[in-house]
Amino acid sequence: MHVLIINGSPRVKQYSNTDKILEKFTAGLSETGCTFEQYEVSDRKQWDSIRAAFDRNENILIALPLYVECIPGLLMEFLETLTPKNDDSKMSFILQSGFAEGIQLRCGEEYLEMLAERLGCKYVGTLVKGDNFSIRMFEGKQQERLTLRYKEMGVEFGKEGNFLSEKCRAFTGPEVFSAPMRIFIGIMFKTVVKNGFKNTALKWGCTKPLDYRPY
Amino acid sequence: MILVLNTTTDREITEILRNDMNAKGITAEVVEAGELRMGNCIGCNHCWLKTPGECTVKDDFPEIFKKIVHADQLWVISDTALGFLDHKGKNIYDRLIPLATMYLCFKEGQMRHVMRYDRRTDIGIIYKGEADREYLKRWNERATLNFDCHSLGVFNTEELKEAVSCMY
Repeated sequence: MHVLIINGSPRVKQYSNTDKILEKFTAGLSETGCTFEQYEVSDRKQWDSIRAAFDRNENILIALPLYVECIPGLLMEFLETLTPKNDDSKMSFILQSGFAEGIQLRCGEEYLEMLAERLGCKYVGTLVKGDNFSIRMFEGKQQERLTLRYKEMGVEFGKEGNFLSEKCRAFTGPEVFSAPMRIFIGIMFKTVVKNGFKNTALKWGCTKPLDYRPY
Repeated sequence: MILVLNTTTDREITEILRNDMNAKGITAEVVEAGELRMGNCIGCNHCWLKTPGECTVKDDFPEIFKKIVHADQLWVISDTALGFLDHKGKNIYDRLIPLATMYLCFKEGQMRHVMRYDRRTDIGIIYKGEADREYLKRWNERATLNFDCHSLGVFNTEELKEAVSCMY
């Protein structure tokens, strides 16, 4: 199977969490003998090539971050330029987000099913997973701890050609956190996580408190 | 204050809307944004971690954002594409992110960002063209959860009077 992979993140490839996820995912995909070609929507110079690839490929996978409960505006701008296929092409998605619970991504997932249909393709599932915000904050083994889990999903997709299996559904993790877990994570938010964000801000040259009100 | 942001280039919509608002004694600021330079959120996270509360994309949106911060209601008028808001309409929502801070909390059992300002801006949609209305309704309810505000509803351009009835 040959797969067209479109990274729908508006963030440049270098800093794209979705790209880091795809690095591992495609490593797993390649292990099954599948081949792929990958493009970045963030690079407008690639748009003509992506359109041509969309027209000639039958297995299309769009990977994207959740932006305000749906697809990012830039990805929508690109998709508006496509001509719907209306053939037997299959379309699947990798949907990732910062918020960790599965429930946070369901509204976006619902749209992706509709989107595949609108683009004249057969919808073959979405791999849904949150808790990915900090991928770009880390390097090396710390980053790999967050992304390596996608390699196994690449193998699964290579074997099945879709994200419809129970294994893919289970990959999402909890839909919501239990009350005790929310208390624990809430404490982490106010301590370790908050300090982590402050440290990142300092590294980025931020000179104001993160809750600063400029207007 | 009510802010109406017309991301389409169709000024007839806002003309009719103005008449309907006048008839009800409602005042609003109407911004014709269809031909302004307003790009997409590029996901740089600077508005959270480098220049808190300020978008660093250099276009016409930051001036509109200042108005949104002080508005009680925001009405987004948008064309549609692929059953949803077109990219211009969606870009507005994506670029509301500086309303929230990087800090996190749980609200009604789900993770949320801590909001930056005390004021809340409720958001309604007026769409022109074909869209999945039921999905748009559900989506706007979810989207507004992210900004700790409420959905004012979703209306097509044939229902401007109904939209005005939700303005106060």
